Amino acid sequence: MPEIFDLREVSYRYDQGVTALDRVTLQIHQGERIALLGANGSGKSTLLRILDALYFAESGTVSFNGSVLSEALLRDDAFRFVFRSRVGLVFQNADVQLFNPTVFDEVAFGPLQLRLSKDEIPRRVMQALESMGIAHLKDRAPHRLSGGEKKRVALASVLVMEPQVVLLDEPTSGLDPRSQSQIIDLLQNYSDKKTVITATHDLNMVEDIADHCYILEQGRIVSSGATTDILQDLPLLERTNLIHAHRHRHGSLVHTHPHQHGHGQHEH
Amino acid sequence: MHIPDGYLSPATCAALYAAASPFWCVSLQRVKKLLNTRMVPLLSLSAAFSFVVMMFNLPLPGGTTGHATGVAVSAIVLGPWASMLAISVALIIQAVFFGDGGITAIGANCFNIAIIGSLVAYGVYRVISAGAAFGSRRRFVAAAIAGYASINVAAFITAIEFGIQPALFRDATGTPLYAPYGLSVTIPAMMLGHVTFAGVAEALLTAGVLGYLQRTRPALLAHRLTGRPSTALANEAGTVGWRSLKPLVAGLALLLLLTPLGVLAVGTAWGEWSAEDFASVEGRNQIAAVSGNQAPPATVPSGLQRLSSVWTAPFPDYAPPMVKHESFGYVLSGMFGVGLVTLATMALGGVLRFRGAGAHREA
Amino acid sequence: MARVRTVKPRGFIERSLEALVRALGHAIESEEIAKSDGLLQHLDPRVKLVGFFSLILASVLSRSLVIISAIFAFAILMAMCSRVPLLTLVKRVWLPILIFTTIIGAPALFMTPGQVIYRFPILNLGITAQGARSTLFLLARTETAATLSLLLVLCTYWTHLLKALRALRVPAVVVVVLGMTHRYIFLLLETARETFESRRSRIINSLRGSESRQLAVNTAAVLMDRSLQVADDVYMAMQSRGYDGEVRVMPEFRMKRKDYAVLAFLLSLSAIAVWLGR
Repeated sequence: MPEIFDLREVSYRYDQGVTALDRVTLQIHQGERIALLGANGSGKSTLLRILDALYFAESGTVSFNGSVLSEALLRDDAFRFVFRSRVGLVFQNADVQLFNPTVFDEVAFGPLQLRLSKDEIPRRVMQALESMGIAHLKDRAPHRLSGGEKKRVALASVLVMEPQVVLLDEPTSGLDPRSQSQIIDLLQNYSDKKTVITATHDLNMVEDIADHCYILEQGRIVSSGATTDILQDLPLLERTNLIHAHRHRHGSLVHTHPHQHGHGQHEH
Repeated sequence: MHIPDGYLSPATCAALYAAASPFWCVSLQRVKKLLNTRMVPLLSLSAAFSFVVMMFNLPLPGGTTGHATGVAVSAIVLGPWASMLAISVALIIQAVFFGDGGITAIGANCFNIAIIGSLVAYGVYRVISAGAAFGSRRRFVAAAIAGYASINVAAFITAIEFGIQPALFRDATGTPLYAPYGLSVTIPAMMLGHVTFAGVAEALLTAGVLGYLQRTRPALLAHRLTGRPSTALANEAGTVGWRSLKPLVAGLALLLLLTPLGVLAVGTAWGEWSAEDFASVEGRNQIAAVSGNQAPPATVPSGLQRLSSVWTAPFPDYAPPMVKHESFGYVLSGMFGVGLVTLATMALGGVLRFRGAGAHREA
Repeated sequence: MARVRTVKPRGFIERSLEALVRALGHAIESEEIAKSDGLLQHLDPRVKLVGFFSLILASVLSRSLVIISAIFAFAILMAMCSRVPLLTLVKRVWLPILIFTTIIGAPALFMTPGQVIYRFPILNLGITAQGARSTLFLLARTETAATLSLLLVLCTYWTHLLKALRALRVPAVVVVVLGMTHRYIFLLLETARETFESRRSRIINSLRGSESRQLAVNTAAVLMDRSLQVADDVYMAMQSRGYDGEVRVMPEFRMKRKDYAVLAFLLSLSAIAVWLGR
């Protein structure tokens, strides 16, 4: 499968000098479903933004389909046009992604920037809305939507552009259980032939949406492997703060063991 | 509470829309050039902030409360041009969507608060804080004074706009058609509330927010324009592009050309009589006619007599002595007046540039 | 611009909350009415924008109390045909303006020079005819204009109103900023409300003056910080979907024959009003 992203020794620091990414190296191929795992502050969001050319690496190189991403390159209209339509990012905070007055306007924003024809746009928008089950919300203002609805609008607004690569930043955070499972179902059905990269610390959904995982800690990749392998390595997960340890009393005995809620087996 | 509909005559409203327009145009151009793609989200969120902060009830010393607009915060953080736009947007939404402020008065409200307020706040802040170390107490004080000054100047101008209404706009019976109080009432009435409560509220808000931002977002206030996640800002004092000021100049020129309309106002403005008017028959008849047919005092009021000799303006009655034709003299005086104001502003700008180009290029 | 009251230190939280919640309520009410089936709701927003503005202008231009009252009556008629509850008009416009104008305008009754029509016996203060008429003008104009603009906003979706501005040659970038500001006002209103409510629940004793000031200003500062953060993030979200600085808006409305007719009607009405009341 052709390589889409090639990151070599990518580092990035915030204004205050805080290191967000530290010499990250990885390759992503077309059609892969990847999960970026890590606790809050591990650099997952930053990495996604580097992949979406919203931040640019301070050192190291980020290549997309062979082109090295840089501020200068993204100023080139032709390249930007192609890149923005091929790569989409769904932000963790849906409120920053819903900046248009109505749901319809929001989903139409991307196609408008892609200069689709004024007839094509309504067709595409309605299609995207229907596939997300939110066509009835098309004239609603974003502040009148529930958390789950906002997420679905955010997804629709990205998917309407028919990107090849979809980046998701904590897609289920802040959602109630039903909305969470709806989103996971949507992602599962979407995946074929698309490359999906999801940043999350929710281990419950990882198996459903990713075949391969990278674990980040303090901006560095500390481990990578197939999802099933990673999920079984409990000491690793505990070390990287993805699961917690329980202390139990059994009579006069106290023992500690790593504990993962949900899928994992709880054994004594 | 901003100026509602019905308090300013349509002529005044139109004049203030005309005064605001060149500033709006210039700001749009400059902000677009400076902030480019960041402009839309930054202006929108700043406007939204201003709108919400206007609802805050701020406790003041002495157990009272007041409201602030956030215009000075906006001017210092965003620069005067972006601030004019952001506050104007907030005022427009307040007026149209929430009914606070009149529709015909949008030009007036924006001119007084958004435009004059931003300029005064920015100017005062730059002058007082120039050269001060980042995070120093002087910047904090400068912010407070900028807030205080901006809102009081805005209130003063509003008071003038109200105060000239009864003199200029009354019907045949002498009924004021719009705001009914003259300058002698509007100025003290408005200034009282602002010199005390609104001014203090604005000062507190400006200093408080600036202090907070100095700690949490120092890069922002250091006026560094980077492509980084911290927001980009306008560092205005240095550059005055004359080309971009053309619309402003055009607007002023238009206003100047319209000044002869003042000649159309028959007779003298109410209250603006000279000692001679009280002495002559014609003058006395005029005074009586516009004062509801109340006869003026038989002799010239002594206070007026005494004070009228203190200052003889270079151009008494707006007509330079050598010029014969009234309208021409009017326009000439207008140009002279505008010229003076422009020179003063340029001088201030020069002072700011001089100080800004000093050791610290920080806000 | 300043309201003066002496309050318990905790009062400022309550009052701020009140204002925030009221603003939120206004927005919801506007949407409800804009959705319902009434006369004004069915008109093209551009017609309403231009037509109502000309009527407001007419009421401000007119020099006849009778004409202004006629426009006011017309506004009430339109309200009744558009399922706008009169109680809403009373609460949001008529009563507040009546109170405000009475306070502001009362001194004018005595202070305006002219013919005295009534003299208070003990105080020796005289109400002049000019003063009375002046106050009436103020009241009539403010009430009429405010009623018309409230009607406009209640019976039209805000987003439609914004798009209608394009027809008046307002630059697209201004329309987009107005729309985005409006959208994020609600986010900030909620943020501010949550902050105030959480602080209110944590205050056990009354605050000292300086503590309340600190609290209020802090809330504003945090709000500003949040605004700037959201602005940054929205900027990235816009870029991510291809925004390159050029503002693009989809055209939306098509004028029907009835819209032209109504526009002509409203414009001529305003012109007649101005002519008659000159």
